[in-house]
Amino acid sequence: MDTLKTLQEIISNKFDKPIEEITMEATFESLEIDSLDTFDIIFDAEEKFGIKVPNDEVDIKTIADVVQLLDRLRAEQAK
Amino acid sequence: MSLRCVAVTGLGVLSPIGNNPKLFFQNLMAGQSGVKKINAPFADDLDCKIAAYIDDFEPLDHFVKNKAATMDRVTQFAVVASQQAINDAGLDLEKEDLERIGIYLGTGMGGAASIEEGYIRLYRENAKRLKPFTVLMAMNNAAGSQVALDFGFTGPDLTFCTACSSSSIAIGEAMRQIRHGYADVMLAGGSEALLTFGTIKAWEALRTLADEDQTDPSKSCKPFSSDRSGLVLGEGAGIVVLEDMEKAIARGAHIYAEIIGFGSSNDSSHVTQPSIEGQTRAMRKALNEAGIQPSQLDYINAHGTGTKLNDSTEAASISKVCGTGIPISSTKSLHGHIMGATAAIEFIACMMAIKEQSLPPTANFTSPDEGCELDFIPNIGRKNVRVHTIMSNSFAFGGTSGVLIAKKIS
Repeated sequence: MDTLKTLQEIISNKFDKPIEEITMEATFESLEIDSLDTFDIIFDAEEKFGIKVPNDEVDIKTIADVVQLLDRLRAEQAK
Repeated sequence: MSLRCVAVTGLGVLSPIGNNPKLFFQNLMAGQSGVKKINAPFADDLDCKIAAYIDDFEPLDHFVKNKAATMDRVTQFAVVASQQAINDAGLDLEKEDLERIGIYLGTGMGGAASIEEGYIRLYRENAKRLKPFTVLMAMNNAAGSQVALDFGFTGPDLTFCTACSSSSIAIGEAMRQIRHGYADVMLAGGSEALLTFGTIKAWEALRTLADEDQTDPSKSCKPFSSDRSGLVLGEGAGIVVLEDMEKAIARGAHIYAEIIGFGSSNDSSHVTQPSIEGQTRAMRKALNEAGIQPSQLDYINAHGTGTKLNDSTEAASISKVCGTGIPISSTKSLHGHIMGATAAIEFIACMMAIKEQSLPPTANFTSPDEGCELDFIPNIGRKNVRVHTIMSNSFAFGGTSGVLIAKKIS
């Protein structure tokens, strides 16, 4: 499962944002998504990927931050 | 500072019989009931399969998808009814001092659906965790806080939770905020969205819900009638804009009425059984504050739930305080018992009664009950009558009573 694509689908579906706006460089601020809403996005991503994001790892600013975090945790937690 | 007069300048309502004050009151006058069969899948497992629910409220007509998904139905109702009331009052919030505007809201069960959804995930679906917004959607102050947040009010914000009288207390206390100078404008009222499987089952267990009328389910709630069998649960929201009278006059606002009296008390006798002493105490307090005699009342909107005990007790209380000549109706016969919002919705019925100079009926009234022989405006509303001064009664489980008195201004 492609991490960026899955994340784009979650965000696009939840916030009615065009996929093309949800780039690696995009910040949550530029997408007008506040910190509380990012918890909701992380929650859905955890469900999709079957992983658990620790509380001290949720300080994220950009889509790239989330993709890197999810990729790392998917690799770690698959072991 | 001398005490200020408080005007009602805006109304907003979402109800099982209309999602604006005009339609709501038209349906009251026409005897149009919002009580119907519950069409949810869980209805098969209910003993009581009727409720007064709103079937034409679409959240996405009012909120973007993401926002709608993070607000319980009770909060959505509160925000939409508040917007209606603000529009009706003609308040331009860009020109107002938002620090002088507050919101007092009543609710009985808060985000009942969000709590229940969480429990279903945990206990039925064996989920290991809950959605991040669960607390924020379920907490009782979510609806009032969301109103403050959406409209930018930074004045007083309190949530009142006194069961069936919640929004009467909210309106009365909001009136005092203005009267004593702590705010210039207050939104006040209630919101309730408790028609979930778990909540209805809990009410069933109290043995207070009405039997379904086998001929016509819409006629199941029969307040003050000898064949009454209980209350019918409902959902909705009612919000009024209260305003310092001088300010309202200065900006040329339409003034529905002035709130002149508020009385509250606790029965302190039994958690569910109403007491004549408690009810009369609240009515007398309100009349004292209003500085009027009971004979000056043109209409009483009764609590009138449709239970055997409430209605006979309330009839006795009204007789004791007000005598037997004042027209009384229970509009719950048509919109159901909307718990934390019901008092506000009934107060809005009173405001519309003053505006239209018409009195809504007590529907489904077949025959008077012994000890309940007052003028209950049975079945047919009265048009073109004098309605200058009204009293709205609300009595709650837990014993908290709220009584509001308002009068038309000349």
